[in-house]
Amino acid sequence: MSIYLLQVINGIGIGMLYFLLAVGLSIVFGLLRFVNFAHGAFYLLGAYFCFQMMRWGLSFWLALAVVPLVVGALGWLTEKLVLRHVYAKAHEFHILVTVGLALVIQELVILQWGPLGENVPVPDMLQGVVMWGGFVYPKYRLFVIGFTAVLALGLWYVLEGTRLGSAVRAGSESTEMVSLLGIDVFRIFSLVFALGAATAAIAGVLAAPMRGAEPFMGIEALGVAFVVVVVGGMGSFSGALIGGLLIGVVQSVMSTVWAEGARLMIYVAMAAVLLLRPHGLLGRKG
Amino acid sequence: MTTQAFLLEALGIEKRYDKFVALAGVDLRVRANTVHSVIGPNGAGKTTLFHMLTGTKHVSGGRIVFDGHDVTREPDHRRVQRGMARSFQVTSLFPTLPVRENLRLAAQGTRPRQAFDAWHPPVGARARDEAVARVLARLGLERHADTPASNLSHGQQRRLEVGMALAAGPKAIFLDEPTSGMGIDDLDDMKRLIQGLKDEHTVVLIEHNMNIVMDISDTVTVMQQGRVLAEGHPHAIRNDDRVRSAYLGNMITGGGAAS
Amino acid sequence: MNTAMTTKTTTPLRRHFHLLLALAVVLAMPLTMQSGSLASEVLIYGLAAMGCNLLLGHTGLLSFGQGIFFGLGSYTIALTLTRWPLPMPLALALAIGMGALGAALVGWVAIRQRGTYFVMLTLAFAQMFYFIAYSMPGLTGGDNGLMDIPRPSLAVGKVTLWPLASPWQYYGFVAMVFLVAFWLLQRVSASIFGRTLLAVRDNEERAGAIGYDLRLLKLQAFVISGAVTGLAGALHAMMTGIAPLANAEYHTSEMILVMTVIGGTGNLLASLLGSAFYLLVGDWLSTLWPRWLLILGVVLMVVSLGLQRGLWGLGESAWNRLTGRRRAGDDAASQGGRA
Repeated sequence: MSIYLLQVINGIGIGMLYFLLAVGLSIVFGLLRFVNFAHGAFYLLGAYFCFQMMRWGLSFWLALAVVPLVVGALGWLTEKLVLRHVYAKAHEFHILVTVGLALVIQELVILQWGPLGENVPVPDMLQGVVMWGGFVYPKYRLFVIGFTAVLALGLWYVLEGTRLGSAVRAGSESTEMVSLLGIDVFRIFSLVFALGAATAAIAGVLAAPMRGAEPFMGIEALGVAFVVVVVGGMGSFSGALIGGLLIGVVQSVMSTVWAEGARLMIYVAMAAVLLLRPHGLLGRKG
Repeated sequence: MTTQAFLLEALGIEKRYDKFVALAGVDLRVRANTVHSVIGPNGAGKTTLFHMLTGTKHVSGGRIVFDGHDVTREPDHRRVQRGMARSFQVTSLFPTLPVRENLRLAAQGTRPRQAFDAWHPPVGARARDEAVARVLARLGLERHADTPASNLSHGQQRRLEVGMALAAGPKAIFLDEPTSGMGIDDLDDMKRLIQGLKDEHTVVLIEHNMNIVMDISDTVTVMQQGRVLAEGHPHAIRNDDRVRSAYLGNMITGGGAAS
Repeated sequence: MNTAMTTKTTTPLRRHFHLLLALAVVLAMPLTMQSGSLASEVLIYGLAAMGCNLLLGHTGLLSFGQGIFFGLGSYTIALTLTRWPLPMPLALALAIGMGALGAALVGWVAIRQRGTYFVMLTLAFAQMFYFIAYSMPGLTGGDNGLMDIPRPSLAVGKVTLWPLASPWQYYGFVAMVFLVAFWLLQRVSASIFGRTLLAVRDNEERAGAIGYDLRLLKLQAFVISGAVTGLAGALHAMMTGIAPLANAEYHTSEMILVMTVIGGTGNLLASLLGSAFYLLVGDWLSTLWPRWLLILGVVLMVVSLGLQRGLWGLGESAWNRLTGRRRAGDDAASQGGRA
């Protein structure tokens, strides 16, 4: 019994990371009507920048604070310099330009750090396990769950409680309306895209001590983000949360039953959701 | 007046988008070989009604009978084979393809199984040349047969819009604001085009141009806020108080020879 | 509607010309290249890119799932030639069939969505197939793939018609298959079906409104694309002797897409240009700089940002400038309708 409980908790941990991955993608799509195929590459950068900073002897906490800002800035630049030019074009070009970007980023990573991947140490403070009655669990994973929960709350607050958030939500419905209201829609675009990149980077930083940094992790992350968004519903914050948790738990529990099939199961779950509820669990129709 | 049979009967048509009720129970009966106009202020639900009639979208309630068949559940491509064809309020052509090809595709749409033929090119009998040529002549677009649709002028595009519906050789042709955005010169051409359709087709028309509506319609249905407000001959509608107040009185002018 | 990433209707004269060009390329490669394997690869991936082009240029469907069909083709030929040895032509036919079947399944689900949602689905399915292949080592060899795939000579009974042992001998076979497949694809492109696909790409709503069953049309496009890509996968596996897991990886789908886009989606032959560019430049650059994919990523971005008609379009523009032909505005004005 307790091994399943353990896996469920692991699943929640992974699920929160998946949520983080997916929510940036979802928000960017909701506002920009743009699926960023370089999203996984920002995740990748997050992991590697974290690795590099720790290699320089800096603390994990500093990395956690700085890396998202750096990657967010990169996202901001990308939107301004590159993406602006493709908005008017057909959606194939949006996708292809970000695919190209993802490839460039991946190759730069390999160029800089080699193709084999690196280990990232767990920060000292979070090493070891927590013991609570008969319950034993790695400290770091608990931290991840807690931290992402706080982040989720923060994001929720930004979206629901601030003017920026309202503008984003309104802009998701209609960009013309928002610009008619005097808000510079393009400025919001850059900010939102940067936010999306930053959340992906945070996910990368958090994931790095758990699984290391490896050049092809971006592609897998992209696939998972897509699954979560499809399951949870495109453009929905709570969909990303529920979808992420669901997928994380499914994967985790499956890994005790059928190890190689664990990753496969999340895609099977996706296919099932698609057949039964094409717009995702919490997605809007159309 | 000779009573012709009803080609189209739509009864109790409802359409809801979540909480918003676009159509709250609309009845529409159209007689064969007539021009039946649907008018009304913006937001009345005219285009939504068209979507329901032609199958572009599904009804939330009600029944549609066309040519004796219940087509309520049938999607648009099925209704085309029944003999219903429509044009769109916002020009919706195949922009990179030449005019001739646009029409050929529309003509072929009535035999959609041929579209799966991955071996034969559309030449000879398969090219529907006569149908296309006839429509080209009717539209007056012969000279532009090989021009890509996106290169036509707005008026020519609106005519091609009507042509796309015509090419299917339909029994009933649904025109959604065919003259929208047209200049004066093009308007007369369009009016004559629509008037000429009556002999071989039944025309259901959404229009804001009252000149055309009053001049060529046999029946006018006035809609407001998802319901039918009034229905009758053009002159009756012109003098109807309810209709006047719906339009704030001063928009129903025109109509050449008064009743 | 962006007209850049679009296939134009071609005239019979143009199609014959393209077929001759293809023949010329096929004959030129043995005379100018050292490696028979590389030459075969150009044709094999050219086929795969054409399959992708049928979806992208003709139908407006951007599919990240081509690796699925490529992988299915590889695995099928491997299994049918090693485990239950079947005559090679039959094995090849089965591989084509499996590619088509896989495409039918993926297409049936993915086509329910449109636009970017559709694209995401194809990527997710590609990942799914990858993990299926990974987790069934009994069937696919898992991480190692299937190996020792023979390359049986073409024979009737005991009489050997065409030995396929050496790279250039195999190239001859691949070239034959390529030309036949290209000719068939040309027919599809020029057929009523192909022309209807163009309408679907141009304006889906209208195509549906005038009577076409969009789902079935797209599905048929998928099936044809899957068949061609499966064929490519099978030929590749026979050439290398292995059916690796990598054939089902994201990178394969990405590579095929990149070749298609860089070549240009204006016509089928452009896909051969794309595969030739990718493989030949890659072969040359990779000896100089192992991370040459970086340049490719940049090229992809450049093409998406500005050079949307791909290399073929670039060549066309250069040719027109040379011959002094001025094409005002839309190129399609001089196309189609002139039988």
